[in-house]
Order: sequence, then structure tokens, then C-alpha cells
Amino acid sequence: MNKDLDIYVLIKQVPDTRSKAGVNPDGTIDRAKAGKMLNPFDAFALQAGLNAKKMGGPNSRLFAVTMGPPPAIDILYQTLEHGADATCILSDRRLAASDTLATAYALCRTLEYLFKKNGRKADLIFCGLQTTDGDTAQVGPEISERLDFTQVTYCEDFSISDNLLHAKKIIEGGTQLVSAELPALVTIANSYTKLKFKSLRGAQFVQDVKRASKEEQAKYVEIIDLDKCEADEMRCGLNGSPTIVSKTWKIGVVGGNCKMHQGKAASELVSEVFKDAVMLKEFVKI
Amino acid sequence: MAGEVLVVAEQVNSQVANVTLELLGEGKKLARKLGSPLSCFVIGHNMEAAVDAVIRAGAEKVYLADHPELAEYKTLHYRRVILDELSSWATPPHTLLMGSTTTGRDLAPRVAAFFETGLTADTIELDIGPYEHTSGIDQTKIGYFPECLYASRPSFGESLKARILGPWKDPQMATIRPGVFAKPEMLTEKPEGVEIKKVAINFQPSDYRITIKETLRELEGKIDITAADVIVAGGYGLGSADGVNLLKDLAACFENSVVGASRKIVDLGWMTYPYQVGQTGKTVRPKIYIACGISGALQHRVGMQKSELIIAINRDPDAPIFSFADQGIVGDVYHVIPEMIKQLQEKNTSKLAELKVK
Ligand SMILES: Cc1cc2nc3c(=O)[nH]c(=O)nc-3n(C[C@H](O)[C@H](O)[C@H](O)COP(=O)(O)OP(=O)(O)OC[C@H]3O[C@@H](n4cnc5c(N)ncnc54)[C@H](O)[C@@H]3O)c2cc1C
Ligand SMILES: Nc1ncnc2c1ncn2[C@@H]1O[C@H](COP(=O)(O)O)[C@@H](O)[C@H]1O
Repeated sequence: MNKDLDIYVLIKQVPDTRSKAGVNPDGTIDRAKAGKMLNPFDAFALQAGLNAKKMGGPNSRLFAVTMGPPPAIDILYQTLEHGADATCILSDRRLAASDTLATAYALCRTLEYLFKKNGRKADLIFCGLQTTDGDTAQVGPEISERLDFTQVTYCEDFSISDNLLHAKKIIEGGTQLVSAELPALVTIANSYTKLKFKSLRGAQFVQDVKRASKEEQAKYVEIIDLDKCEADEMRCGLNGSPTIVSKTWKIGVVGGNCKMHQGKAASELVSEVFKDAVMLKEFVKI
Repeated sequence: MAGEVLVVAEQVNSQVANVTLELLGEGKKLARKLGSPLSCFVIGHNMEAAVDAVIRAGAEKVYLADHPELAEYKTLHYRRVILDELSSWATPPHTLLMGSTTTGRDLAPRVAAFFETGLTADTIELDIGPYEHTSGIDQTKIGYFPECLYASRPSFGESLKARILGPWKDPQMATIRPGVFAKPEMLTEKPEGVEIKKVAINFQPSDYRITIKETLRELEGKIDITAADVIVAGGYGLGSADGVNLLKDLAACFENSVVGASRKIVDLGWMTYPYQVGQTGKTVRPKIYIACGISGALQHRVGMQKSELIIAINRDPDAPIFSFADQGIVGDVYHVIPEMIKQLQEKNTSKLAELKVK
């Protein structure tokens, strides 16, 4: 039997790109118009956390943590429905415009605050592979560097024995089996098991929490700011970000003069194109 | 003077990855603009041929960490040799580049976090240029910076491309996907006088916390769409998973060809992830790219726009794909593709006839 494990899942709320709302025809997103959802990659991380909790001893605990504006509390409630024990959100205006390094710093301060509060350090931290809005896959490894945890990225499957995480991970052109000592930070690939449906009991529990007093709610959804987790504001947000976006623009059209073929029978359109696209001939199989 | 432009090489079985050579080609341009040397950090075991390759690709200085423990990529061991070496430099590199591969994405953020420096992911363009920072709460950041690394990448927000920079701290870091830049012309002879510095190796007990049990690389069955000359890619316009067969039939008409996919149909499960082209999939630059029922969203485009010849089939004449394709066919994929196959096969029979006459 494994020892009791303290497991943390890092999740983020991102604009919802599943529906058409707020998605422009060219694929860009209008954040103001788009709905919000749990970063789809983080759903896999949550399932990994739930599975890891079962692998640990009977007093294992699962915590979900996010950084973002207050509406992100929604995704914390989702994790409670699925079986997380407690959650925490770091929310502070001074975090605006954080790049990955500043985000990793702030999340580390939050994690360390929780380690203290929960009486011990994490055994495992699960992250999604990447977010759909930031889309860097950097926040996880930047956190493991700061915390001096071992790290397994692109994890597809895992088990735990003694103090070791045994993982199957994606590498260039194949897969690899590795063992990493705990504490470890793991980023979960989207080939991992899909998030299972929430249980009725979980849904009922969240209904009860939402109706409970503020104090009772805070036991399950704690809201903290930079002061509470003793984060240095100069290392957060725009101040703490070593990078900035200096300019944005529409990408210039590369080809720009597409020869259009239209308004004729398919056979004619195709023979026109084959006449124009001389290069094709070189590659046609004999 | 600005520090070096340093490319961290990637290798499998002591062989340098293509992305490393591509980065050396692009890194050379940055180095010339800065007036700095282009250097390359080679990590592995039995790396003579690799060192030779990076020099012939343009590296003017090589840092070599050669050790049996480094034969396979391992997060903590590789991290150790890079951090130890760079920490000992009086002037850090100006620019540090890595491939945005499973390896680069594992390692680059650890290096960036250690040095508390900026890292731009999945960059599609690199340059050196000036920047003036005029306002901000942090007064120490204000100033004029003549030589910043410009790293541009598609952005999620309203605008299409974002230039990201961070001149306050060196190294200025970026990861770049394989295939974004062209491979440089390789010198046939190794130039004289390239300095090869053997770096000190001091593994710590904590570096051994991760061990590799088994590595499985499926070399035969491996799908690598980046090596094909012709890609027949499909999008949501195919209408259903069955449409993928149509793509395969068309691809079968060409030599060294493969099928590709937009993310939408990968998400729908019509095709699998190794076939995905675009920002979160593969970057490809085949000779011919045939886009069938793909709208041409930015995130798809950045993965294929450097193809030599782009032929697009879409029934919507206003589809964004027509703004950057070379040849556009406005029509239904179910009419156009079978017609293409038919005409290509006719060509074959006529070619065969020609051959027989000879
Ligand atoms: C962070 C992020 C990363 C992303 N990464 C990628 C990526 O790596 N790769 C990628 O591809 N996308 C990516 N996307 C998604 C991208 O924005 C688009 O949503 C996606 O490329 C659209 O796929 P599509 O062109 O197949 O589908 P659609 O946009 O739905 O287009 C279908 C096209 O088919 C045409 N059509 C319909 N029926 C027919 C017919 N019978 N015959 C001919 N034409 C027809 C339609 O006119 C339309 O133009 C990403 C998005 C985000 C936010
Ligand atoms: N604001 C955030 N709050 C909590 N976790 C985050 C946040 N941003 C990123 N992460 C975690 O880091 C992973 C990678 O994010 P990214 O580097 O933005 O692609 C995500 O899948 C999350 O697990």
C-alpha cells in the first residue's frame, strides 16, 4: 500500500472555442464575446489527479488550484464535483499581463502557501500539457524548476509505487518509460484517459457548498491575493514579466495572388489547374 | 558587445536533429546582425559526427558535453550541464534557441526559470531590432534597447501575430518548431579554426532522481508528415470520417506523399494527431500542399504556408485559404477530388503508353 499522497492539479479557465461565439472566421478569438471553459487539456490533468488519489493511501488529498479573475471559481467548483477535496484561487489585479515566468512565480507562491496550510509539501503536481489561449506548455516546467521537483512532461499513463512515479511519456518519434522520484510535476498529454462524468454525489455536494455560508464555502474554495501568499508584486504581472508583446499585426498574405478557378464543370477546373501547376507532374506516380 | 547566439542542439542516437540545423541557419542571420558569434551546445555521447554536422551547418563555436550518462535526453542531467556552463560565463548568451519539440519544451522552460529570463514558445519568425520602453511602474525597465530578440508567434487574441521581446535580461530565449526555417546549405568541408570547448560535467546526486527504463522508437511505422513531398490535407469540409479515404486515394497518385489534417478533424477523431498540420500540430513545407475543405485559419496556415505550391479546394470563394494559396478551385471536394484522381490516372496510362512505345 502506498503512503498518503498530497496531490495538486493546476487548472486554468480559457475562452470557449467550441461554440461559434467570439470566434472570428479567420480563427482568431474575441475574448470579450467568447464564453469561458476549463482548459480542455486540464481536464486530463484533473483525471490524472483523481486516479493518483486512488493510488495513494486512504488519507490522500486532491487540491485544485487556479490563478485568474474571480469568474474562474467556476472551474474550481467543477473539480469539486469530480472529487477534489479543496480548491484555491489566486486572484489579484496586479497579476494582469503576467507572462509564463510571472505566472509560474505566482503559482509557486500559491502552492507554497497551501503546502504550509496543509501541513506538508505536495507529492505530485499535475498540469495540462498546455493551455488553449497561452499555448506555451511552459508554466508547468517553470514551476518544477522553481520548486526543484522532478518532472515528466507529455505523460500518457502512470502508476505509483513507494516513492516513485512510473510514467509512460511521449518523446520525439516514440515513447519512453521513466521513473521519477516524488515530489514530481507531471504534464498530462491529451492521449491520457478522458475526464469521467461527475458523480451525482459530487454535484449534490457542490449545490450544498454553494448554498452554505461564506465561511463554510471558504473551506472548499479559498480565494487569496498576492499579500496572502506573500508574493512580491514586483515579480508579478507586467512588472514581473521578462517579456512583453511589443506589437501585434495581421500576418501579411504570403502568396497573395491565388489563381482562381471557378464557375465551370469540375473536369474543366481540374484540367486548368493541372495545366497551371506544372510542378505536379514531377510527383505523379507512374 | 552583445553576447553569443547559442543554439542548443538536439540529437537522437548521436545524430543531430533537423531542427537544430534549421536553427543554426536562422541563428547565423541573427548573429551577423548582432556582430556576435553563432555557437552551438552539443550534448550527448560519441558526438564527433554531430559536432562535425553543426559546424558544417554554420556553428562558429561549439560547447561539447560528451558523457555516457548524456547519451539519451534526460531533463535533470541536460539541465545540469547547460546551467553549470552558462552560469560560469561573464557575459550570458544574447539569444538562446531550442527546438519546440517534446525535448525542447521539456528543457527550455527549466533553463528560462533558472535564469529568470523570458521564453517565447513556438516562434514562427526571429529577428533583431530596437525597442524603446517608455512607461511602466517598474522604472528600472525604462530605456532604449537597440538590439532585442524579436520572436513572433500567432496570438490568441484579436490580432493575428504578436511580436514578443524581453531585452532586460539575457539570454533572450525562444523555442521554434521543426520545419519553420529552411535547412542551411551544409559546407562540404569543415572550416578550420572552429573552437570546440569541452564543458565541465559535474552531476549532482539529485540529478539521478529521474531514470529511463525503456525507450521505444518505432522507426518503421513512424508517421512523419514533415518528410513528404506531397501532402493531401483535409478539413471539416470533408463532411465525415469517410472523406479521409478520398484524401488517401488522391495521395496515392503521387510519389512520396502523405495525408494531413486540420485540427478540427483531429479533434473530431477523423484523423489522429501525428497528421495534424498547424500551430499545435506539425509545421510542414512540402513541394505540394493540396488543402481539401480547409478554411485556412491562421493556426492552420502557420503550419503550411511555406509549402512551395499550395492548391486549395473549397466551395466558399471567400474562404481565407484563397488569400494565400497559389491555385484555388471553388468547388465541392466530392466533385473535384474524384476528378483529380481520374485525370491523374489518365495521365499515368498515357505515360505508360509512352514508355511502352519506347
Ligand atoms: C490555440 C489554437 C491552436 C490551433 N491550432 C491549430 C492547428 O495546429 N491546426 C489547425 O488546423 N487548426 C488549429 N486551430 C484551429 C483553427 O483555428 C481552425 O478552427 C481550424 O483550422 C479549422 O479547421 P477546418 O478548416 O478543417 O474547418 P472549418 O473552419 O470549419 O472549415 C471548413 C471549410 O470547408 C469548406 N467546405 C465545407 N464543405 C465543403 C465541401 N463539400 N467541399 C469543399 N469545401 C467545403 C468550408 O467552406 C470551410 O471553408 C487552433 C486554434 C487555436 C485557438
Ligand atoms: N493561470 C493559471 N492557473 C493555473 N494553472 C495554470 C495557469 N496557467 C497555466 N497553468 C497550468 O500550466 C499548464 C500549461 O500552460 P501554458 O504554459 O499556458 O500552456 C496548464 O495546462 C495549466 O495546468
